Amino acid sequence: MLIKNLWSQNARELGTVLGLVGLSLFFWAWSPYFLTISNLLNIAQQTSINAIIAVGLTFVIITAGIDLSVGSIMAFAGVVMASLLQADLPIYLAIIIGLLVGTGSGIVNGLLISYGKLPPFISTLGMMSVARGAALLFTDGRPISGFSSDFRFIATGEIFYIPVPVIIMIVVYLLAHFVLTKTKLGRYTYAIGGNEEASLLSGINVKLMKTIIYGLSGMLSGLAAVLLTSRLNSAQPIAGIMYELDAIAAAVIGGTSLMGGEGKISGTLIGALIMGVLRNGLNLLGVSSFIQQIVIGSVIIVAVLVDMAIKKGKN
Amino acid sequence: MKKFLLILFVFTFTIAFYGCREDDTLKDDQPTVALVLKTLNNPFFIEMQKGAKEAAQKLKINLIVQAAEREVDVEKQMQIIENLIQRNVSVICVTPSGSKEIIPAIVKANKANIPVIIVDTRVDAKLLAESGGDVATFIGSDNVDGGRLAGKFIIERLNGKGNLAILEGIPGHETNDARISGLYDALKNNNGIKILTSQTANWERDQGFNVFQNILQAHPEVQALFACNDMMALGAVEAIAAAGRTGEIVVVGFDAIEDSRNAINENKMDGSIAQHPYEMGRISIESAFKIITGKEIPSEIPIKIELITKETYKKNIE
Repeated sequence: MLIKNLWSQNARELGTVLGLVGLSLFFWAWSPYFLTISNLLNIAQQTSINAIIAVGLTFVIITAGIDLSVGSIMAFAGVVMASLLQADLPIYLAIIIGLLVGTGSGIVNGLLISYGKLPPFISTLGMMSVARGAALLFTDGRPISGFSSDFRFIATGEIFYIPVPVIIMIVVYLLAHFVLTKTKLGRYTYAIGGNEEASLLSGINVKLMKTIIYGLSGMLSGLAAVLLTSRLNSAQPIAGIMYELDAIAAAVIGGTSLMGGEGKISGTLIGALIMGVLRNGLNLLGVSSFIQQIVIGSVIIVAVLVDMAIKKGKN
Repeated sequence: MKKFLLILFVFTFTIAFYGCREDDTLKDDQPTVALVLKTLNNPFFIEMQKGAKEAAQKLKINLIVQAAEREVDVEKQMQIIENLIQRNVSVICVTPSGSKEIIPAIVKANKANIPVIIVDTRVDAKLLAESGGDVATFIGSDNVDGGRLAGKFIIERLNGKGNLAILEGIPGHETNDARISGLYDALKNNNGIKILTSQTANWERDQGFNVFQNILQAHPEVQALFACNDMMALGAVEAIAAAGRTGEIVVVGFDAIEDSRNAINENKMDGSIAQHPYEMGRISIESAFKIITGKEIPSEIPIKIELITKETYKKNIE
């Protein structure tokens, strides 16, 4: 009964799940190294940064918006946090300030979009350049490297054999799923994307909601910066170039519609995992990196085609 | 819906199968060595790959060549190395996209008992030691030597006296800083050469053009230019031509790519420092083979670096 219920509720995600399972079966058949516990944890760990950024983009895209600035915000938040760590600020404080830098940049996006009436594409395109420039200016173009082992634990540590970034990713997804399905903010997110005019008329504070949502996207970029900086033991002002596209791809593969109003957090996780599995499997097989790009691009296109076909079938 | 799902599988699988044909060259009874490059859309690394492939064929080694989509994306390069560790390759050769950022990946390989050979770009020795990492060897040219060669050549051309401008790549980049420090080293015993300005053009040709155009405006007395790579030098060559001053300014670049060799031959440029990426690739694989067969290798293997001028260019052609 429960299974049947879950089945009918998640029919739309079926295609994506099948895609993930199919890909995994394929790599399992071709490479003896694919289906091992250590490799699966490796994939989950590699997916975590993209997956976390993609959560913010899922919210944004559901409102029919877009956020192109996440990669640059990640770099900016990362270098600010790194410089504070090197100034021997307590780790938790440096992280909080890093998250605030991300959130602040996101809120600026939100204000420009809701109060400045700029299209999200333009506002976040501008922020992409501003945050990148700020990161370069802040560091004079140089990376900031070398942190304490306590800070490195965030990306390199394990709790009960599970890498810490994977645990952080799971917590973020559980929280985001809760917010999107059980809270007002979640319902308003869908409402704004479904019909902004109607949302406004029904008394939703659309401007405030949008500002919060872009702020959330910025905060998650800040969180990604914590993981990336800890992982590389370095914060680079040129980090995260084009990461926005990977995150958009994860959301879209996961069934979030760029037209707004539709999408699920669980779908985005599967989308991010598909990209992680693809990269990992193609590396294991030693496939040329040129062909890898073709495969990844094709998967994005096919995933959306399937999604559209399923929706059409339902209607 | 079913039809489209079918298309999804067929499409993905066809492409993946196509990709796997590369894997057919991998034989089970041979050791596997991985070469992780910064990028594959730069002639320098394509040459390196060529050298590696030919050596691998000769020595009966399975060679996996991988590169991130973008040269600066060291996080993706780290992912590739993690995946190759899972693949349990015998040796990993890597041209680091970041001298410091690659170190966690090296440490991971160390933990899995996979030797790491560093090619072309050095890793930060201090941070490596602090992180407890270890590399088998470094194979590459000495960029400081290259900068020194360029400096000596400029002093010679200006007869020990004149005004020099510098175009830098990305500041803080190990390669860039080493080339500049070599240049300064060559100039330090010579008081006749005055450095007018040192500006960045981010390794790029169009920026080399713009930045040098501005330099020509601000410092018309400039007599020589050292650019940290050929792309910026070639951009500057165009700026010089646009100002109608071709032949008046000594231009020296780095890498000796084909375009700059042609420019040297046409008297638009004066010199460039040549590295030998093919040799780097070949020797990487040969060193990996020595490690696999239990032989000792030195902790550093220098690859020759030389100045290309019109005279040496002609000699090479003959």
